[in-house]
Amino acid sequence: RTDMEETEFDDILDDWFIESLKTYKDLHVYQLEHPTQVIEWTSGKTVCVAGFTSSKNEILELRLPLKLFADENKGLCAERDFKVVHGGFTDAPVRFSNCLNLQVWDLGGDDSDVIRRTGSVDGSRGVSEGGSRIAARLSSQPQVLHGAESAGVRLTQLTSGQTVYTLETDSADPLSSLHFVSDAVFLAGCSNGKVYIADTRTSAAPQLSPPPPSSGESVLWWTDASAGPSCLDPSSCRIVRLSSCGQTVISDLRNPGGAVSRAQLDVQTRRCNADDVRVSWAPALDDCIAVSGFSGAVQIYSSSVWTTELQEAQPLFEHRGHAVSSQSDDGVPVFVTSHVWHPERPRTLLSAASDGSVHVWDWVDQSAAGC
Amino acid sequence: MPEIKVTPLGAGQDVGRSCILVSIGGKNIMLDCGMHMGYNDDRRFPDFSYITQNGRLTDFLDCVIISHFHLDHCGALPFMSEMVGYDGPIYMTHPTKAICPILLEDFRKITVDKKGETNFFTSQMIKDCMKKVVPLNLHQTVQVDDELEIKAYYAGHVLGAAMVHIKVGSESVVYTGDYNMTPDRHLGAAWIDKCRPDILISESTYATTIRDSKRCRERDFLKKVHESIERGGKVLIPVFALGRAQELCILLETFWERMNLKAPIYFSTGLTEKANHYYKLFITWTNQKIRKTFVQRNMFEFKHIKAFDRSYADNPGPMVVFATPGMLHAGQSLQIFKKWAGNEKNMVIMPGYCVQGTIGHKILNGQRKLEMEGRSTLDVKLQVEYMSFSAHADAKGIMQLIRMAEPRNMLLVHGEAVKMEFLKGKIEQEFSIDCYMPANGETVTVTTNPSVPVDISLNLLKREMALGGPLPDPKKPRTMHGTLIMKENSLKLVSSEQALKELGLNEHQLRFTCRVQLQDPHSDTDTLHRIYTHLKSVLKGYTIQHLPDGTVMVESIVIKVSSSTEDPNTKVLLLSWSYQDEDLGSFLSTLLKKGLPSGLC
Repeated sequence: RTDMEETEFDDILDDWFIESLKTYKDLHVYQLEHPTQVIEWTSGKTVCVAGFTSSKNEILELRLPLKLFADENKGLCAERDFKVVHGGFTDAPVRFSNCLNLQVWDLGGDDSDVIRRTGSVDGSRGVSEGGSRIAARLSSQPQVLHGAESAGVRLTQLTSGQTVYTLETDSADPLSSLHFVSDAVFLAGCSNGKVYIADTRTSAAPQLSPPPPSSGESVLWWTDASAGPSCLDPSSCRIVRLSSCGQTVISDLRNPGGAVSRAQLDVQTRRCNADDVRVSWAPALDDCIAVSGFSGAVQIYSSSVWTTELQEAQPLFEHRGHAVSSQSDDGVPVFVTSHVWHPERPRTLLSAASDGSVHVWDWVDQSAAGC
Repeated sequence: MPEIKVTPLGAGQDVGRSCILVSIGGKNIMLDCGMHMGYNDDRRFPDFSYITQNGRLTDFLDCVIISHFHLDHCGALPFMSEMVGYDGPIYMTHPTKAICPILLEDFRKITVDKKGETNFFTSQMIKDCMKKVVPLNLHQTVQVDDELEIKAYYAGHVLGAAMVHIKVGSESVVYTGDYNMTPDRHLGAAWIDKCRPDILISESTYATTIRDSKRCRERDFLKKVHESIERGGKVLIPVFALGRAQELCILLETFWERMNLKAPIYFSTGLTEKANHYYKLFITWTNQKIRKTFVQRNMFEFKHIKAFDRSYADNPGPMVVFATPGMLHAGQSLQIFKKWAGNEKNMVIMPGYCVQGTIGHKILNGQRKLEMEGRSTLDVKLQVEYMSFSAHADAKGIMQLIRMAEPRNMLLVHGEAVKMEFLKGKIEQEFSIDCYMPANGETVTVTTNPSVPVDISLNLLKREMALGGPLPDPKKPRTMHGTLIMKENSLKLVSSEQALKELGLNEHQLRFTCRVQLQDPHSDTDTLHRIYTHLKSVLKGYTIQHLPDGTVMVESIVIKVSSSTEDPNTKVLLLSWSYQDEDLGSFLSTLLKKGLPSGLC
């Protein structure tokens, strides 16, 4: 890169950072050695990230910077770094915290910082390119829901390896996600837009929510379900479905076939990797959805202003940090590989991108209405 | 087996005090001599009793090397050289030599004058210590003595910080001090060539962190300054004369320009002169960008930053002031602080560590009421911000440095050993080298495998090459006869004759004889001739002669034929060879035992 290009890049970056003084409350930018597709909370202050190359990968448990949480004496805390609390190695790529064979990892205790594999659960029998999806259930006995296709989703108890529940559906649709909406009820979101709703306590057939209309052959869908304190009554949960062309449909669990509201998002579809797209409800903000994976940005939308008419929606906020700060040498644009909301802090998110960057950001809501 | 020993000194597991002993090739070197700021007693000094129980250290150390001017790397130097006693050379870079005494004197003043310490080094001791310093230039090999040589490499981190390469014979060690693998606004990134040292010693204080980007730290700084200015407050930034101050100035200047801000920024004059002076002296130690701008204009001719006058502190309205000293323990920065502390709109930004006993240290610990001279109390109502700008290598940086230098072994000091198993595993896996993590006071012994250079005499080489013949197999390594002589610290391989001559010894000859029986119905002379023909066809490339005195010679091997008295067809071959031709001799006797082929004429 020439000096000129270097200076231009620096200037653009400086501009973005100066702009960020108004648009973010907190901003932290990190560079991992290898990109991750996984960011999973392991506690209120720690996340796990892992590489996804086909050979050896690292799994890291990172503690968020103390400064982020030092609300009272924030000024006196200078600590801005991630602390690597635990680290380990795996031979397989880690996507959606899974592999074709589920591996169980033990995050070392206080006296060691090494993560070791303690066991594995036989993966789904269905051969699917993306591998299994999983959802962990934090009940008294750790259980994990996993599968690659709708017909074959199993709930397995980790300690005994026993299958506690199996989802039975008419067709074997490839899955894009699995979510628990309560202790016993879960959703299986399929990439063709179907959503199955099942109750692990009964042997009754799962409810099926068909794909939204105008879904074409090559259109892929991703799902998220809002869970949390507002969902003590599972029937008041909402499902959001996002398609690869940006169409978004929100349904109520009480009426999964219908649509509460819709919107057309501007996702600038270039080539998107199915594994990278994420759509998620904000756990601590009403009606807010985050979308990533189509580009180098994470977009936040407020669905409270959406109607049943399909209309274009503008994001409430767009985090462009990854795109702006990426110096890609081979001309391949950077794209976001994962994002998560902080479980309690309303506007704090973590996002990761294909260049290995990880950002922690707390955005400022500049609109009057909205989240 | 040759080995290198490394011992980090110090009492306890605390990080932040660097002093490492290395024993290599019979030489003892002390790397850094830092002070621990948290203790008031002897625990703040490294434990020199490891070197010797009593008495001076001069006889036990070949040299001392200081990596940079931070007190946790040089704070105990005057104590070591003047109070414990060391008269040998102390190596450090030029900027370090210039800046060290200033910081040591500042530190001494705080400790003695403010805290009333008695067992501490004096100003004169600092001066005497600095007289022992030999300055180093980057990438220049310095001979400490006949066998020990050292070379400094750029480390980034602060002005004048160096990584040092130490070599004795063919064994070497690289010590990093504190370094940084990403360039910042005024310093470049650390760099070293593929020197393949036996051991690379690196600090590991931040080895288990992933650092937040420089820009985010700067963003935070700008945000704070901006917020204060916007509400009409005044911002005080206490700094040392160098390093961080320049960087923050450049940052503010850029920001002010972009945002079209009008509030004044001041830089106290003492600072300007000193800083300018040092930067001029050490311009080669800064990065490309700074050097470019320096060529165009004076380092401190900023558009928005002006020289400070103490009367400005009373001016109304927002302003930003950079003032010394950095820990608010005396001088201008303290004066300004006292004036501004009572207003909550104001702010003080502490850009680094503060020694215990200073006001800086107290306010960073949350103290809001300070006792000043004359029993007066100062209410601290202004906002106190602590920002850390120091650039250290994290896990990624350590891996990058290993890739650059390609050491045979890795040694991490000053980390929490228990919590570094993962990094150790990572290094061992990726580079297939051993990674050591000694505790303070623990010695690590690393076995090295140095190559020993030997000269070979030309005659010997020629002679060995002249020995021809396809047999034995030319592809296989062959035994060479020579003598290894060690003379004046060099090794030579010479022919035995030359060695004997040099040593004044007589050569003894060993000859073997062997009798081989052969059935051959010819006369003795004919048999001999047949043997000659046979050998000539088999041993191509060897010198074979049929001599008039009735012998066949193969190289130096003599073959004679005689008949047995009982039976004239039974020939007795007498083979005789010298020790040097053992192989060929044995080969010949085995060959001839098989008899002569019938087709010979």
